[in-house]
Amino acid sequence: MRKVYLILMLAFQLTVFAQNKEVLYNFTAIPQSSLVNPGADVSYKFYFGVPVLSGISANLGSSSFSAYDLFANNGVDFNDKVRNIVNNSSSKDKAQANQQLEIFSGGFRVGGKDSQSYVSFGVYQEFDFLAYVPKDEAILALDGNRDHIGESFDLGDINLRAEVLSVFHVGYHKKLNEKLVLGGRAKLYSSGANATSTKNSGYIYTGQMAGTPNLYTQIISSNLELKTSGIAAFTKDEYDGSIPKDVVHNTFFNGSLGLGFDAGLTYYIKENLQLTASVVDLGFIRQSKDIQTLTYKGEYKYDGVNPNFDSTNQPKDVFDEFDKAIPRDTLYNKYTTWRPTKFYSSIQYSFGESRSDDECNCKGKVTRKYVNAVGGQLFAMSMPVEPFVALTAFYKRNIFEKLDFKVTYTIDQYSDKNIGLGLSGTLGKLNMYLLVNNVLEYKDVSKANSIAFQFGFNFVFQNSED
Amino acid sequence: MKIAPPTKRIFKLLLFSILFISCSSDLDFDQVKDLKLEPVIVANLAYFDVAANKFVDNGMEQQIPFDVQNFNVFKDQYFRDNLAKAEFNFELENTINRAFTLNVLFLNDNDQILQSIRLAIPAYSGTSNVIKYPTEVFENQRLDLLKQSTKIGFVVIMAAGPPLNENSVGSLKLRSSATAYMVIQ
Repeated sequence: MRKVYLILMLAFQLTVFAQNKEVLYNFTAIPQSSLVNPGADVSYKFYFGVPVLSGISANLGSSSFSAYDLFANNGVDFNDKVRNIVNNSSSKDKAQANQQLEIFSGGFRVGGKDSQSYVSFGVYQEFDFLAYVPKDEAILALDGNRDHIGESFDLGDINLRAEVLSVFHVGYHKKLNEKLVLGGRAKLYSSGANATSTKNSGYIYTGQMAGTPNLYTQIISSNLELKTSGIAAFTKDEYDGSIPKDVVHNTFFNGSLGLGFDAGLTYYIKENLQLTASVVDLGFIRQSKDIQTLTYKGEYKYDGVNPNFDSTNQPKDVFDEFDKAIPRDTLYNKYTTWRPTKFYSSIQYSFGESRSDDECNCKGKVTRKYVNAVGGQLFAMSMPVEPFVALTAFYKRNIFEKLDFKVTYTIDQYSDKNIGLGLSGTLGKLNMYLLVNNVLEYKDVSKANSIAFQFGFNFVFQNSED
Repeated sequence: MKIAPPTKRIFKLLLFSILFISCSSDLDFDQVKDLKLEPVIVANLAYFDVAANKFVDNGMEQQIPFDVQNFNVFKDQYFRDNLAKAEFNFELENTINRAFTLNVLFLNDNDQILQSIRLAIPAYSGTSNVIKYPTEVFENQRLDLLKQSTKIGFVVIMAAGPPLNENSVGSLKLRSSATAYMVIQ
């Protein structure tokens, strides 16, 4: 079973993921930390990531249920499990997945030997999925309307978005002085497939009102819209290609294009008191390739069959009436999607000076290094219903010259006991890192509400190796 | 270049510990196949409200004509395949000083009568005259016949009694509902 699980996790890692990278954030021993804060105080002479292995991250979360709740092999009827989950969920509960895979990445110092300006660049592929629990529709599918007379089923509960994209990015950061590091990153997005249905409204209502001729008052008021790009071709009957292949091709070579940027800073209030902040993925994609928008908009009142006993009969057709009242329209307009924008900030206090094990301090420049750091982080991300917010406390320790360790404790909507562990070490020039969160859940991952991990390999060349 | 040997060890330890302390309860994804939705849907079936003077034409009492309406919900294959049971509820209210019989007929495209339901109500005598008829249940063979119907016919027959004229008051009202028991697998 353990093996099966591992395979599953690997499969998930490549297909799915939540986005808070609380362990990676400000973990400056890892070059990829500049992807979550382009103004992170990262330094190198140059580095490059091991292609395809430099940054693999996966993040899965579900705020109201776990895999165990749904799939436990415990003899409970599957339908009862579904019903329990629906009953225990609200329409603000969601399932989220985010996966990133770095294709290549690298960076180098610009300017002279003493320059503290750095350029970094790379391409990564990303998959994003977010769906809120369509609670009202689930209840309607499970129960029907008989036991819910007088209630409205809210069509606004249908709320989801999914996207596969590639991101080409170039960043620059500079340590302006001993106190301040500023950085920015420009991003070119290429979206291979997008589905967005986040602005729905309407209701399905069955009620009984006194004084009306019919037994029930039945109204469907619908304002549903599903926008897609890069997907319509696959739904046509004559399509006989390979969907994964075509999605990959579109993602890298024929996607809808967009622009975005990241910005960040690191500020040393005191030598051992550091403040950081960053904004990531402030950008948009103009969805323009193979676009299709489906809408169902209108209002329909169902009265049943109504004979009028006139000799002139005008039989009516319920389906025709419905189709006329709430027509299915297909539009081919370009549309703009905003990237989920992330905001990070941290404050860190360092203590315990390190006993440097360098043979000598050849350059005669003394920079104090601290062994320990504690602090707090804030994470926020834009979402259709309400922003996602997480608070993290962390402890970082430099165990050996080339081994750094970080432990985090995070509270968010998924969990209030999320402990993360991160380790970054360097063997020769090979930097390796492994970050996992929700470690307490690893004793039974199937019961976890969220799991995230990230690992990668880089070759990093530092000044001291000149 | 110095490689701190403990670095290697700690890395290995961490990697292996994560792989091996992690466990998972026994999960069975095949359960998805057991998903069975059983929604119960209620909907209006038919209504009418016929005033007493509709039974009078040019001062002459008459029966009202037979009325046929399309009833094409069963044209929808998905609905047909997943409907396990249906119930109809009828309610008549008569405030006309005559007794009536309503025949509700379910017809196919060739106007063959597949099912008929007879509802009788006595003449109005000044007191409340509402009848809620026993639920008509459609299962098995009766349901199969119902599923073939494409039209509903309404035949109102007025029984003999005191004559009606243009100024007669009251009306005959039908209200009815359908309950669909779906089983979707």
